[in-house]
Amino acid sequence: MKTYLAQRLVVALLTLLGMSAVIFALLRLAPGDIVDILFSTAGYVSPAEKQAIMKELGIDHPYWVHYLDWLRQIAVVDLGMSYRYDLLAWQLIKPLVPVTLELAALSILFAVLIGVPSGVVSAVRQDTALDYALRVFSLAGLSMPAFWLGMVIILGLVTWFAWIPPLSYVSPTENFKLHAVQFLLPALAVGYRSSALIMRITRSSLLEVMREDYIRTAWAKGQTGRVVIWRHALKNAMLPVVTIIGIEFAFLIGGLVVTETVFNLPGVARFLVQAILWRDYPVVQNLVMFIAIVVILSNLLVDMLYGVLDPRVRYGG
Amino acid sequence: MSRARIAPFPALLIAFVVGAGLISPAASQTASAPTPKSGGVLNMMLREDLSQGFAIHETSTISTVWPAMPCFNNLVLFDPLKKTESVETIIGELAEKWSWQDNFRNLVFFLRKNVKWHDGQPFTSKDVKFTFDMLREAPDAPAKLRINPRKDWYANIEAIEAADPHTAVFRLKKPQPSLLLMLASGYTPIYAAHVPPATYRTACVGTGPFKVKEWRKGEFIEMVRNPDYFVKGRPYLDGLKYFVIVERGTRQAAIQAGKLDASFPGETTKTAAEQLKKAVPQLVITPFSQNVSDNIIMNVKKPPFDNPKVRLAVSHAIDRRALIQAVHQGGAVVGAASAPKPLGFWGLSEKDLMGLPGYAARPADEKALAKKLMGEVGFSPEKPLRVEIVTRAIAVYVDMASFVINELKQIGIDASLKQIETAQWHAMATRGDYQIGANLTGIGPDDPDANLYENYACGSPRNYSQYCSEEVMKMIDAQSQELDPKKRLTLNYAIQRKLEADAARPILDWKLDYFTVWPHVKNLIPHQSIYNFGRMQEVWSDK
Amino acid sequence: MAVRPTAIAVPVGRASRDGLVAAVVRFARKKPLGAAGGVLMLVMLVTAVFADVLQTHDPIATNAAYTLGAPNAEHWLGTDHLGRDIYSRIVHGARVSLVVGVASTLLGSVLGGIIGLLSGYVGGKSDLVTQRVLDILQGLPLLVLALVMSAALGPAVHNVIIAISIPIVPRAARVIRASVLSIREMQYVEAARALGVRHVRIAFRHILPNTIGPFIVLCTAQLGSAILVEATLSFLTLGVPEPYPSWGRMLSVSAAEYAQKAPHLVLFPGVAISLVVFGSNLLGDALRDTLDPRLRGS
Repeated sequence: MKTYLAQRLVVALLTLLGMSAVIFALLRLAPGDIVDILFSTAGYVSPAEKQAIMKELGIDHPYWVHYLDWLRQIAVVDLGMSYRYDLLAWQLIKPLVPVTLELAALSILFAVLIGVPSGVVSAVRQDTALDYALRVFSLAGLSMPAFWLGMVIILGLVTWFAWIPPLSYVSPTENFKLHAVQFLLPALAVGYRSSALIMRITRSSLLEVMREDYIRTAWAKGQTGRVVIWRHALKNAMLPVVTIIGIEFAFLIGGLVVTETVFNLPGVARFLVQAILWRDYPVVQNLVMFIAIVVILSNLLVDMLYGVLDPRVRYGG
Repeated sequence: MSRARIAPFPALLIAFVVGAGLISPAASQTASAPTPKSGGVLNMMLREDLSQGFAIHETSTISTVWPAMPCFNNLVLFDPLKKTESVETIIGELAEKWSWQDNFRNLVFFLRKNVKWHDGQPFTSKDVKFTFDMLREAPDAPAKLRINPRKDWYANIEAIEAADPHTAVFRLKKPQPSLLLMLASGYTPIYAAHVPPATYRTACVGTGPFKVKEWRKGEFIEMVRNPDYFVKGRPYLDGLKYFVIVERGTRQAAIQAGKLDASFPGETTKTAAEQLKKAVPQLVITPFSQNVSDNIIMNVKKPPFDNPKVRLAVSHAIDRRALIQAVHQGGAVVGAASAPKPLGFWGLSEKDLMGLPGYAARPADEKALAKKLMGEVGFSPEKPLRVEIVTRAIAVYVDMASFVINELKQIGIDASLKQIETAQWHAMATRGDYQIGANLTGIGPDDPDANLYENYACGSPRNYSQYCSEEVMKMIDAQSQELDPKKRLTLNYAIQRKLEADAARPILDWKLDYFTVWPHVKNLIPHQSIYNFGRMQEVWSDK
Repeated sequence: MAVRPTAIAVPVGRASRDGLVAAVVRFARKKPLGAAGGVLMLVMLVTAVFADVLQTHDPIATNAAYTLGAPNAEHWLGTDHLGRDIYSRIVHGARVSLVVGVASTLLGSVLGGIIGLLSGYVGGKSDLVTQRVLDILQGLPLLVLALVMSAALGPAVHNVIIAISIPIVPRAARVIRASVLSIREMQYVEAARALGVRHVRIAFRHILPNTIGPFIVLCTAQLGSAILVEATLSFLTLGVPEPYPSWGRMLSVSAAEYAQKAPHLVLFPGVAISLVVFGSNLLGDALRDTLDPRLRGS
C-alpha cells in the first residue's frame, strides 16, 4: 500500500510536469500578449514603448527562460506577479478558490442527491414508464448547455420575481441566508447536469450487480426487495459512482466557467476566462495548474476509496 | 475668457428626448429637484474590471474613466449638471479661476488653497506642472508614463510655470482656445507629484470627492466619501460601489431587479431601454450621444481601396438610415466626422449631409451610383470584387460588419468577415495590415481638435486609413487657431464635407445611449460625451 | 490509474447477418428511447444536408424593417436583432453544429483510437508512457483546454474543430485500449499469435474489428458533448465566427440583452442545441446497453 502510494505520487508529479509544459506551450501559441492588450485599452500601439513595457514586466526573455522560471516558482510555491494587476498572482487567486470549491462541492452533492436515488429507482423499475421518465429527465439535464440553463434561470427570476441573486460574494458569516441563496441556484444548475452521469452509472452498475449470484440469493432468502437493494446492491454500485465523481470534477470546472459568469460569482473559472483574454500568463498558468492538481488529487483519492469500498481491489499488482 | 461660443441647445435636446418617447417626468425634475439629501450608497455596474487600475492617463477606455473619475479632480471640468458641454459650461475644480492672456497664448490658473490629497499632503501648482510635463513628455519631465495615449493633445504647450504654489501658467506655442476643453475632459485629472505615476495602476491618491476603500479584483470597487473634500457639503453620497458583471444579460437583469441604481454609459441600446421601461415603468431613461461613431476604415495605401472610386462606391452603397434601423433599432443618428446637432456642437446636421456620398433620400439611387462606380473599375454583383473585411470580435462591431457585408454584396463587393481579437486589433489597424474594416471611434471632449488631429491628421497612429491630405491638414490647423467661433464652425463644416467627399473614413452613424437610472438617483446627468460626467460629486440619493 | 473504462468486447458480424433493417427494427422495438434519439439525430442530419432547401430566407440577410420580430407566417421562428430569420439560421446552424461536432468527434476518436489500439496491443513501457501522456491531456478540463486552444488558434471553423477534438483523444484512447487489452488475451488471438501471424495483421484483422462496438458507443457519446462544447465556445465568442449562424453564437450577447422583449431569441437556439444533444445521448445510451454484453439479456 505504501509503495503503491509512493509510486502513484511520483507518477502524479511527472504528469504535472508534463502538464506544465503543455499549458505553457499552448498559451504561447495564442497571438498577442499583455502589452498588446494594454495598448489596446489606450487605442494605439507604439513599438518602442512596447519594448520598454515588456522589459518592465520581465517578459522580454526567450520562452525557455520563462518556462524554467515558472518551474522554479512552482517549486517554491511562488506564483509570480500578475501582469495585469501588478500584484502577486497568489493574492488574486486566493479569494477565488473557496468560492469555486464550495460551488463544485455543492454541485456534486446535488448531483449525487438527484442522481443516485433516480438511478436506483430506474434500475429497480427497469423498462417501466417510471424508468423512462427518470432517464429522460436526467438526460435532459445533460443535454442542456450550462450557460443556457443559467441564462434562462436569471431571466425567469428577473421576469417573474424582479429579483436576482447578489452581485458579489456574500460570506456565510456575514449573511448565511443570502450566501446559501447565492450558491444554491448555480449549484443546482450545474448539479442537475452532472446528475445525469451519476444516474446513468448508478443504474447500469446496479443492474449488473442485481444479476450477481449473491443478490439473487439474498432475494431468494426472502428479504424484502428494498433491503436487498440498499444493503448489497447499492454498496457495490457505489464504486463506479465514486469513479464518476472523480471524472466529473475535471468536467465540472469547465461547466463552472459559464455558470460563474452568468451568475456573477467571483470564482476561479470566471476569473480564468478574463485572464486568458488578457494574456495574464502568471495567473492563467497557475490557475490551470491548480485545476490540474485538484483533478489529479481527486483521481488519487478515488483510487484510494476503491480500496475502502471494494475489498477485491488490491494495490501493488 | 472667451464668452462667445454659446450652446443654446438644451431646449432642442429636451425636445428630441421627448420626441424619442422615452423620457419620464422624473427626468425633467432633476433640475428643479427638492433639496439634496446626504447619505446613501450608489450601486453601479462595470462591464469588465478596471484595465489599468485608476491610471486614467494610461488608458482610453470608459471602463477606466467611469469608475476612476470620482477619485480625482481636474483643473476645470464640464459642469456635471449641464447636459450639453461647451466652453460655456466649464467650471473650476482645482482651479478657482482662470484667464486667457496674450490672445489665447497664455492660460493662467489660480488654484484653490487648502486642498489636500487623499494621503494628507497639500495640493499645489507643483502637482499641476508635474502632471502636464509628464503628459506632454517635456524633456525635463520628472516622470514618464509607460503608455501615453493623449500626448498629442498637449503638443502645443511650450512650457508650464508654477509661478507660486497657487498659480500655474500654460504657455502655448500658438493660440489654441480648444485647450481648455481638453483640460475639462474626464481624461485630464491631476496626478500627485509626490506619488510615482505607476502606483495609480493599483491604488488612487487623488483629491476627489471619493476615496478608494477596496478594489476586489474582478469583483467590485468600493469608494467612500472623502470627509476632507474641498467643496463643503459635497459629495452627498456616503459611498459608491461598482460591480464587475461580465455577462450582458446579467447586467440588464441586475438593473431591472433594482440591484443596481444606474446603467453603464454607452451600454444601453434603444431596444434594451424600451424593454427595461416596460418591465419597470418608473425607471428614468435619458437618450444622449455617446460621442462614438460607427465608421468604415479603408486602407488608402493598398489596393483596391487606394482607388478613390472604390472607396466612394463603398460609401455610396451603405444605407445609413437602414443601418440605424437594423443595427441600432433607431438608436443612432446620421452624421459626418463630428457628432451632429443637436447632440453635439460641431457636426453637420442631417439636412447639411444631403448630397454627400451615402445620404441621398432614395437608397436605391445610391446603390445604383455605387454599382456604376464599381462597373467603371470592372466589377459587378455577378463578377464581384473579393475583399476581407476586418472587425473586432465584439458584438457591436460584428453586428455592424454583418450589415455592411450585406450592403456591399449588392453592389459587387463580396466581403468575407475576419474577426480580430482585442489583443491584435489596434496593432493591426495602426500597422495598416488590412484592406477594409468596420470600426468604432470614440471622441473624448466634443471638440474638433481632439477629434481631427487624432483621426485624420497625417501620421497620427490612430489615423487607421492613413488618409493624408495636405489641404485638409491646413484646414485643421486653421480651425484650431481660429478665434472667431462662427468662423471656426464654418471651417469645420467644410472639413467634414471634404472628408466625406474623399471617403476618407465614411462615418455611418453616431450612436445614442439610453442612460438609465432609478428615480431616486438625482443629479446624475449624462453629457454628450460618455467620458466626462463620472465625477459623482453632485449626485444624491432620494431614498 | 483512476479511470478504467469498462472493457467492452463484442463479437462482430451479428448485425450484418440479420440484415441492417431487421437490426434497426429490433433495436427500435427494444430501445424506444434510443430509437427516438436516433430519429432526432436523423432529423438533424437531414436538416444539415438540405439546409439550403429548407431555409425560407438567406440566413445572413439583414432586414431593418422587422427586427426582433415575433414568430409569424413569414418568419416561422421570428427574427433576431438584425432582422435575420431565426428559422433559417437554426437550419443552417444545424450544419455548423453537425460539421463541427462530427468532424471533431471523428478526428479525436480516430486519433485516440489508433493510439489506444497500438498502445494496448504493444503494451509494456511504451504503453506506460502513452498512458501518462494521455493523463496529461485528460487532467486538463475539457472546456478550459478548448478555450485556450481556440484562443491560441483564432476563431475559425477548422480551429474550433481541432480545439474540440484534442480533449477527446485521451478518452477515446482509454476506451479502445481497454477493449484491446481484453481482446488480446482471448483465445483466438493467442491462437493466431501461436500460428505466427504478423502483429500488424493481428492488430488490424482480429483486434480492430472487435473494437468497433465500443468505438461507436464512444463516438455517439462524444458527439453530444462536442456539440455542447462548440455551442459554449461560440457563446463565449471564441468559437465559430460570424456570419456563420452557429447556435451558440446566436445565444451570445445580443440574445441575452433582448431576451425579455424577444424570448424566442433565447428559446429556439437553446432548444435546438438541447434536442440534438439529447438525441445523441439517448442513442448513445441505448447503443451502449445493446452493445455491452454484460447488460444484455435483461
